[in-house]
Amino acid sequence: MILKNFFSILIITLATQLTTAQTAEEIIANYLENTGGEEAWKNLEGLKMSATASQGGMEIPIVTVQLKDGRQMTTISFQGKEIKQGVFDGTKLWGHNFMTMEAEESDAESTENFKLALNDFPSPFLDYKQKGYTVELMGKEDMDGTETFKVKLVTEPQIIDGKEEESVSFYFFDTENFVPIAMQSEIKSGQAKGMISETTFSDYDEVDGLYFPFSMTQGVKGMPGQPISFSKIETNPKVEDSEFNLPEKK
Amino acid sequence: MKKLNICVLWIFLSTIIFPYSQESEVKDGGSIFGDLTARQIGPALMSGRINDLEIHPTNHRIIYLGAAGGGVWKSNDGGATFNPIFDDHIQSIGTVTLDPNDPDKTIYVGTGETWTRNSVSYGDGIYKSSDGGANWKHIGLKNSERIAGIIVNPQNSNEIYVAALGALWGDHEERGVFKSKDGGETWEKILYINAKTGCADLIMDPRNPSVLYASMWEFRRTAWSFDSGGENSALYKSEDGGETWNKIHNGFPKGKLGRMGIAIAPSNPDVVYTVIEAESKKDKGLYKSIDQGETWNQMNNDFGITVRPFYFSRIVVDPKNENVIYKGGLNGSVSKDGGKTFKNLGNMHSDIHDFAFSIVHSDIMYFGTDGGVYRSWNGGTTCEIVENLPLSQFYHISIDNEEPYNIYGGLQDNGSWYGPSASPGGINARDWNSVGVGDGFRVLKHHTKNIVYSEMQGAENVWRIDQENELVQTIQPLPKEGYDKLRFNWNAPMALSSSVPDRIYMGSQYLHQSDDMGNTWKIISPDLTTNDPLKQDQDNSGGLSKDNSGAENHTTIFTISESELDENVIWVGTDDGNVQVTTNGGQSWTNTVSNIPDLPKNTWCYHIEPSLLDKATAYAVFDGHTANDKTPYAYKTSDYGQTWESIISGGVEGVVRNIQVDSENPNLLFLGTEQGLYITMNGGKEWYKFTNNMPSVAVHHMELHRKSNDLVMGTHGRGVIIIDDISPLRELNEETLQKKLHFFESEPFILKDNSSFSGSFGAETQFVGSNESTLAKIKYHLKKRHTFGKMNMAIVNAKGDTVTEMSPGKSKGINIVTWNYYMKQPKVAKGKTFSFDGFVTPRLPAGKYTVKIKKGKEVFNHEIELIYDPESTISLASRKEKSGTVTRLYNMNESLAYDVFCLDSYLKYSDSIGNKKLSSKLSTLKKSMVITSGDNYVGSAEPQLREKLTSLLSRVEGNPGAPTKTETENLTQLAKRYESTRIELSKIIKKYKLSKRVNTISKEEYLDSDM
Repeated sequence: MILKNFFSILIITLATQLTTAQTAEEIIANYLENTGGEEAWKNLEGLKMSATASQGGMEIPIVTVQLKDGRQMTTISFQGKEIKQGVFDGTKLWGHNFMTMEAEESDAESTENFKLALNDFPSPFLDYKQKGYTVELMGKEDMDGTETFKVKLVTEPQIIDGKEEESVSFYFFDTENFVPIAMQSEIKSGQAKGMISETTFSDYDEVDGLYFPFSMTQGVKGMPGQPISFSKIETNPKVEDSEFNLPEKK
Repeated sequence: MKKLNICVLWIFLSTIIFPYSQESEVKDGGSIFGDLTARQIGPALMSGRINDLEIHPTNHRIIYLGAAGGGVWKSNDGGATFNPIFDDHIQSIGTVTLDPNDPDKTIYVGTGETWTRNSVSYGDGIYKSSDGGANWKHIGLKNSERIAGIIVNPQNSNEIYVAALGALWGDHEERGVFKSKDGGETWEKILYINAKTGCADLIMDPRNPSVLYASMWEFRRTAWSFDSGGENSALYKSEDGGETWNKIHNGFPKGKLGRMGIAIAPSNPDVVYTVIEAESKKDKGLYKSIDQGETWNQMNNDFGITVRPFYFSRIVVDPKNENVIYKGGLNGSVSKDGGKTFKNLGNMHSDIHDFAFSIVHSDIMYFGTDGGVYRSWNGGTTCEIVENLPLSQFYHISIDNEEPYNIYGGLQDNGSWYGPSASPGGINARDWNSVGVGDGFRVLKHHTKNIVYSEMQGAENVWRIDQENELVQTIQPLPKEGYDKLRFNWNAPMALSSSVPDRIYMGSQYLHQSDDMGNTWKIISPDLTTNDPLKQDQDNSGGLSKDNSGAENHTTIFTISESELDENVIWVGTDDGNVQVTTNGGQSWTNTVSNIPDLPKNTWCYHIEPSLLDKATAYAVFDGHTANDKTPYAYKTSDYGQTWESIISGGVEGVVRNIQVDSENPNLLFLGTEQGLYITMNGGKEWYKFTNNMPSVAVHHMELHRKSNDLVMGTHGRGVIIIDDISPLRELNEETLQKKLHFFESEPFILKDNSSFSGSFGAETQFVGSNESTLAKIKYHLKKRHTFGKMNMAIVNAKGDTVTEMSPGKSKGINIVTWNYYMKQPKVAKGKTFSFDGFVTPRLPAGKYTVKIKKGKEVFNHEIELIYDPESTISLASRKEKSGTVTRLYNMNESLAYDVFCLDSYLKYSDSIGNKKLSSKLSTLKKSMVITSGDNYVGSAEPQLREKLTSLLSRVEGNPGAPTKTETENLTQLAKRYESTRIELSKIIKKYKLSKRVNTISKEEYLDSDM
């Protein structure tokens, strides 16, 4: 299957090399096609991704669930106890406080900005035009020693410290196979405000006909990133609704 | 298309791709250097020269700065901190301008510093960003060299005016006022005088964008003189958007004019100010017009207003008060009475070049100086420095052999310093030590004694600093009977001998040698320069304003290098283009410059680097920019200069300042140019630009630290930048590049025992240089980026057990994966709260380990070795004792975890059958095993067995040597308590037959699970 896919990627690569310059639209179409096809991505109802984050010898199991309707949560296990972070139940964004281990709601601005990304499952590029997003091919750029197409994506504006700001990210699609191998965006708040965050993607592999990056690094551009590898990605997982609900304060 | 035969397609593909890769001129080394990343360590405490400040017109939090040599930076927090946004491009900046109609997104950067001092760099035109600085596009005036101003018509964003000051060191027609009507796509020159006269300042009437004022300045530098002013300098006004221009000199002084700054009062644009450089001293100074430039009256000619016009001609008016004027200068001046009188600004670094007012209140101000950006909350009376701008401009650096090693260097207008390559918590401002005042240049550490040599401009003072006794002695060579007056360069050369520790060299036009650390000097050469008297008339340098600071001293020695292989082989390069060599310790000298092909006469020899492998081999680099020649020149000789060959190939940009040889691989060379760092692995046949966290900044000097293999760079605008351990580059050759995965050789990794406290108090808004990681670095080269399929890495011990797993790097080129020598943390019992000590992960013992990379179906193995620190005072016996105790505690913790897991199962069962007695017994027992109430902070409950066991493990593991007696006693006590707990649990299990009634998984299964 993988081999077959590689051949089709090769053919697409060759075909596109022979045609004239790429447009951002074509790159995105190729990306969706090469990773399973637009229809298959649209039919995806949810994802459950299990990973182990390594931090100074500590191995921390992390499970992230994302559903098509925007609900999501990340569960981190420490010493057999589960801590939830970035849980969104459809209206509220919450997470456990590490000190009290009790649930606390996120600040209003974070929640509002979070809601902007609800329509981005499983990829902001899926139906990006209908969502009112714009894409632009910035040209070719070297990333990780690999030639990529740099595509600018503008999504809904965010509210940062009370001011509306454009929400821009740059995706770097490998020119050979059209999958994104990196993403950059400006950090909008906090101490690192103004720095550029960078996420890289690799170890693309197939799950139920769709291709996912099983390995990522996250950090600041120019500095080594924090790696995370997924041990398992499940499509359309069954999750209890109650898992997302903000628990009552005790 | 899909039906086409693959082979046919492959041939098509090859023909398309192959020529492209062959013709590519500038080679970005990204695909080779991979994770080999530069580390910027500052310093930022004295920062560096600022050319321009720009304020966002509607968001008071956003400020931009253009640095003289350090690029463009943006603040999002009202100037508390800044971030660089222009690192991929030339770092000498003239101006930063925002489109007033689209200030969040559209930014213009005019490159090339405009305060034309001797050490000024150059730019390459105008760049535009349409997305707030994330991406930049070059939009023209590539040869303008320096841009003094850009104005966007507030009523029409497509209409842009540019003040092109132009070339400093020669004639060029790309200067004057330019206009674009299409947002920078095309440019039309709308005001041009001649190839020597550029636009120094340009302003627009805020009421009427068709009204422009332009100050034109005739100026020229040579390596040996400066000439400001002439018949062609003038102030012009246009009232029709630049179609026609008229001189507006009614009230101006007679005769030649020099550099003029202009400013319009935003609150009353009828009021225009100009500062004039004129022939006579009394005519210089501030002039004011209250009728839009129709007539002018002189207001003031104090020192602060007339000082060094080429360096300080910025004048600005308070946006809310036409009578409040600020003028750049040595100290900076402010007038509150419309220019009649001025007073100095408050304390800040001297040499103030630009001002900016907050849009909230004019009292909130920002100042750009030779020493960074200052903020003021009271209009400049008291000022505070921005602490996170590492814009320091090194002329030269050197290093020592301390552990960690120190970097020594001198800075433009910021003295001489040294600081460490590593420091607990990162390299802070407080880690840097001052070892000289004035402009600093060469700073050298005595090879064996705690003595540092430093100097100030023109060797006016050369200091020998006895650091131990805090004794500072001046030692510069003084005029000597029988010799001409000594001519020292502004940046006077000083060098140490590697053979004779107390030997020091200095260069005037002669080579001076001292074998007693500078107490006595002897001259060991004739005049090694061209001694051209036409280039020695610095008394008359400056033009309309005499400026004999020593900066133009010429026909001097600029670089001295003694071969490490033979103390009698000494190379000397001069600023007027001689390359002299002696092979007999100075008894005779040969000028070899005429043997150098294709090098224009008198091109400044910037550095000579003797080979570390062959004494007849040396490399010389030349900088022609002071003769208006920006060609990169680098040459190699293998026969003491009898023949030279160029080692520059396509792709190198910027005049060359320095070259560094490798100590092992003669084909590995590092080239520092005005536009960044270039590396060759084949002796100069191909050069690759190094861009990993390395801005396109001028690299003035480099050293290779032999022990660490670090390349240390002194940049003129971004401080010290280090590439840690360049040794993988030695292994890159045709063969290794073709391997799918190539592991680089590594020295054994040292398990350090040191630890210290590193408070970061008050450093929230400070620049802190990062340390090199002390972790193991596993390095390999990948021929191609890994994007599809699994790729994992594991560390396996000698027994074949996997001790840890990691995410390997997947980039094409060099990958560096760090490993902290730790095994997995123990599994600890589940309680109500966390045991923070339970997150401690024990370090693995010294020994041999195998790195296993699994890429798809292939496995690549590489053996590494961990050794204990040979410098450590801890005995092997202590380490064994510690290791035994740690293992015991580790196992106890995991056993307890399993016991609690089982107990929880029993409790669940007991609750389910409603056996209150059993539940009560189990709960009571559990309460003694692990915390069952409270929170992770001050609501924490009394620690129980789990907490005590993890705490002891954490202590024993964290301490460097064997467990103390107290710790051992504590362990005995805890073991006893644990044993009685287990007995108690066994009794309950037995009594209630729990092992038969409750199914639990085995201990092994439990330990492997995520539970």
